[in-house]
Amino acid sequence: MPQSTDDLIAGLVDELKPVAPLQQMRGMLLALGALALGTAGMLVTFGPRADLVAGQPDAMLLLSAGLFLVLCLASSWAVVDMARPAVGTRREGWGWTALMAAVFPLAALGAMAVAWLQARSSGLDSTDVNCMRYGLAWSLVTFLVLTLWLRRGAPVALGRAGLLTGVAAGSAGIFAVSLYCPHNDVVHIGIWHGLTVTLAGLAGRLALPRLIAW
Amino acid sequence: MIADETSLARLAGLAQRGDKQAYAALLGAARHWLARYFRSKTLPHQIDDLVQDTLLSLHRKLASYDPDRPFMPWLAAIARYRFVDHLRLVYRLAEDELADDHAALDSDEPAITARISLERLFESLPAAQQRAIELVKIEGLSISEASASCGQSESLIKVNIHRGLKRLAAIVERA
Repeated sequence: MPQSTDDLIAGLVDELKPVAPLQQMRGMLLALGALALGTAGMLVTFGPRADLVAGQPDAMLLLSAGLFLVLCLASSWAVVDMARPAVGTRREGWGWTALMAAVFPLAALGAMAVAWLQARSSGLDSTDVNCMRYGLAWSLVTFLVLTLWLRRGAPVALGRAGLLTGVAAGSAGIFAVSLYCPHNDVVHIGIWHGLTVTLAGLAGRLALPRLIAW
Repeated sequence: MIADETSLARLAGLAQRGDKQAYAALLGAARHWLARYFRSKTLPHQIDDLVQDTLLSLHRKLASYDPDRPFMPWLAAIARYRFVDHLRLVYRLAEDELADDHAALDSDEPAITARISLERLFESLPAAQQRAIELVKIEGLSISEASASCGQSESLIKVNIHRGLKRLAAIVERA
């Protein structure tokens, strides 16, 4: 750098303008807005599942959609906070929620293994891949909002920020799909819905660091 | 003199509201802290560049400081991010220098400088990771050449480079 540090400081002071600090609640409101928009978009496009319309939602729907919703909120919270860096900050809450949500894929794999041992059909139907497609498509709303938020801030752990943004977006997308998807079986939810979050997380981990580097 | 944490947080809050006097005091204090911070991590002639680079980042990312939190952990996070970035640049420069035969013949200084910076950090890596990074990232060998040179399999070379660089970044990022 050609200039002296004194000159640099004088120049920075000279061009100082008031800035609005990034606020955690504002970031979370944006994330919630994205979740609401994605969910509304999904329901307007495909309509809610029959038991929801009847006002008698299946217990499996409440359980799985609830877990993905909590995962979305926990990982969104961590992402929003990552825009405001500080040495020594611990953001581990999302990990426990992710572990809880991982019960579904693990249970699905267990059920498939038992079915295979008993020479029965596993219940996995590849045509159900549409749930994953829709989930990934609607996850883009949350992905975009959180990416823009991170670009305004100063994330210092780019890989983790990318992974968490993907997880938040994927779980937002699959939460929206859960309100439409008619399936109540653990194999479908564990594999296709779980895979949506996993793929979104991987995509975020791979693609986002170069978009949010500063 | 470095101001205390409460004063710095107050100055940063005022700077966010556009107070130029507070901002000048904040940048002055940050400059001294950063110079001390980088002194233990890099070569003397690189300190000024890193300090200036970090002050520029502080300026661009001032909105990311939360006035309800302490200031120093925020500044330290910005500083170490810039330092890791600097390290990556050093790696790339070393690679570029070694890839260019003419430049390497004319002057070895940039590559040597890069080596000196790295050697302090390398001491904390396991020998196999050190060797893999040295052969491929510093000396410019291909994975297969490095494998033949040190007896590690090609996949082990890749794993050791990956783990070594990750560990270096973690070492550097410690407060």
